[in-house]
Amino acid sequence: MPGNRERMNPTTAPVASDLKTRLDPYMAIIGPLAMIVMILAFMAVMEPARYFRLSNLNIILLEAALYLPMAMAMTFVITQRGIDLSIGSIAALSGIIMAFLIKQFGFPAWIGVLCAISIGAGLGLVNGLVITKFRVPDLIGTLAMDLVYRGFALVLAKGLVLARFPDLITNIGRGRLDWFLPIPVTIGLLTMLAGYVLLRRTHFGRYSIAIGSNPEAAEMTGIAVERHRIYAYVLMGAMAGLAGVMLTGKLNAIQATSAPYFNLHVIAAVVVGGTSLFGGRASLIGSFAGVLLLSMMINALVTLRIEFFWQSVASGVVIIASVTLYTWLQRKDRDGARSLLAAARTPENRRLLRLSAAIVGAVTLLLALGWLLAGAPNPSG
Amino acid sequence: MMTDARPIVTMRGICKRFGGVAALTDVDLDAYSGEVLAVVGDNGAGKSTLIKILTGVYQPTSGTMEMDGRPFEMNSHSDAIARGIDAVYQTLALADHLDAAANVFLGNELTRRIAGVTLLDNQRMRSEAERVLFERIGVRLPDMNAATESLSGGQRQAIAIARAVYHTDLRVLVMDEPTAALGPQETERTLNLIATLKAQGLAIILISHSLDDVFAISDRVLVMRRGRRAGVVNTAESTRQDVLGLIVGGNDAW
Repeated sequence: MPGNRERMNPTTAPVASDLKTRLDPYMAIIGPLAMIVMILAFMAVMEPARYFRLSNLNIILLEAALYLPMAMAMTFVITQRGIDLSIGSIAALSGIIMAFLIKQFGFPAWIGVLCAISIGAGLGLVNGLVITKFRVPDLIGTLAMDLVYRGFALVLAKGLVLARFPDLITNIGRGRLDWFLPIPVTIGLLTMLAGYVLLRRTHFGRYSIAIGSNPEAAEMTGIAVERHRIYAYVLMGAMAGLAGVMLTGKLNAIQATSAPYFNLHVIAAVVVGGTSLFGGRASLIGSFAGVLLLSMMINALVTLRIEFFWQSVASGVVIIASVTLYTWLQRKDRDGARSLLAAARTPENRRLLRLSAAIVGAVTLLLALGWLLAGAPNPSG
Repeated sequence: MMTDARPIVTMRGICKRFGGVAALTDVDLDAYSGEVLAVVGDNGAGKSTLIKILTGVYQPTSGTMEMDGRPFEMNSHSDAIARGIDAVYQTLALADHLDAAANVFLGNELTRRIAGVTLLDNQRMRSEAERVLFERIGVRLPDMNAATESLSGGQRQAIAIARAVYHTDLRVLVMDEPTAALGPQETERTLNLIATLKAQGLAIILISHSLDDVFAISDRVLVMRRGRRAGVVNTAESTRQDVLGLIVGGNDAW
């Protein structure tokens, strides 16, 4: 019954939906902002001296800048109900090809940069064609192409680390404008701005939302669905290529195994920012806030001297938490949700509880048994 | 009721086969300006096949179609739209995350060129959508910025209809089960809306399972049974029993 309330009671429904529609555009920014404030508050207690330093702010911004162009493009891909798991490899492969062109073949740096972006776009085109023409689902298609691109990068570079690049490249990666923000931050903000124009003022942006919102309707109204999906992957590839250049410049070095966590990080940032994995809901400002949030979180972990490997745990938890939150916010009948205890009493959930208890019990039992039967330790190292 | 003696569209002897199955056999249809023609029949009677041929989605196996007395053929739904025939589907084909204006112009956006770059003209789409909704359909939305998912069933339907009637050369509008998902109040409003469109000189073809709606709004009823035309009656001169008899096939006098 609670789900029907809007329809049954016409006098209260407009007010409720008014509040919801008025809040809706800001939901994307409220979520990440709240988490940013929480991180700031936490760090103000734990490590204010080292976290709130101008040099640390610079580190956070440089870290964020690397992900901004990819987050912009990923917003379009995810809005269309797609996903791209190959961007880390595209960035590494584009960066390595650029490095070879400049160092091995003596290409001018600016041509190398443009080559990296174009090659990224080309790899994105391959992704798009695999998905639309061979009808391989996005998840599998880009996951497989990720292996292919990473493989090519390894074949090309072997174990080499290519280092020491011309000033143009290092400037793109970590330079600073005398009177303004660092150059990579400027690039990141410009791509976000371009993304905003794309989303609001072009056919591509409008159709991206329509395709994600209702693919059948998009087809029926004569939208070239496949072409616009390919556009999104091309944009994604080009931005991953740009990120490859920025990463090369930032480290002044590139190798085949660079950028291993790009996929997870960018998708996390976009999803935390309120762009729905179920399509149709795009928020570039949310993606921007999401990138900033993740950079601040990882920086906080570093500042607290927590092991690097915990970053992956933290990113994963943030994705699950934000998707759960947004799904819950979308639910129509959340007023009708009963207490957690009552929910656990339904027959279906009782079975799940029994299953969980059995698994936990088995693991505990095996650990106890192993402990009892344990002999002398034999370290592998 | 017929304001014009000559039909806009006539279909004669339409047959459609899918493999060995005859979906339609020898069906005739006339659509007049300013008239509501209801198409009724049991499930599988051939209503939607007939309508898909009229809107260019399917091509007939045999039979002829004429517009203003001149024969024509269509190869796709866009051919039909170019000739002034459009349909509002039961699913409405709306992208519910977009606002009303974006949906009215979906696939047919208004643009303007700024420094050689083609950009969407959101302002003009908004004012045009507001104008079409109000002037042609008599609907004023409370909030033009709201995503259509937050609107009522009737309002969403108005947007889908506005998309069709925005083409000023629209002459035949097919409506597939427009009231199936609506409550009594909204059904009432939709029927009024159909009357408004009819008064504007459109030929309306209404597919419906609800005989209440059919008798409330239609001028003639075309009854389909097993892929054939079971009969055409003038609504004013017949009863529900007559139409029901034609639908189930008890009354073979026709």
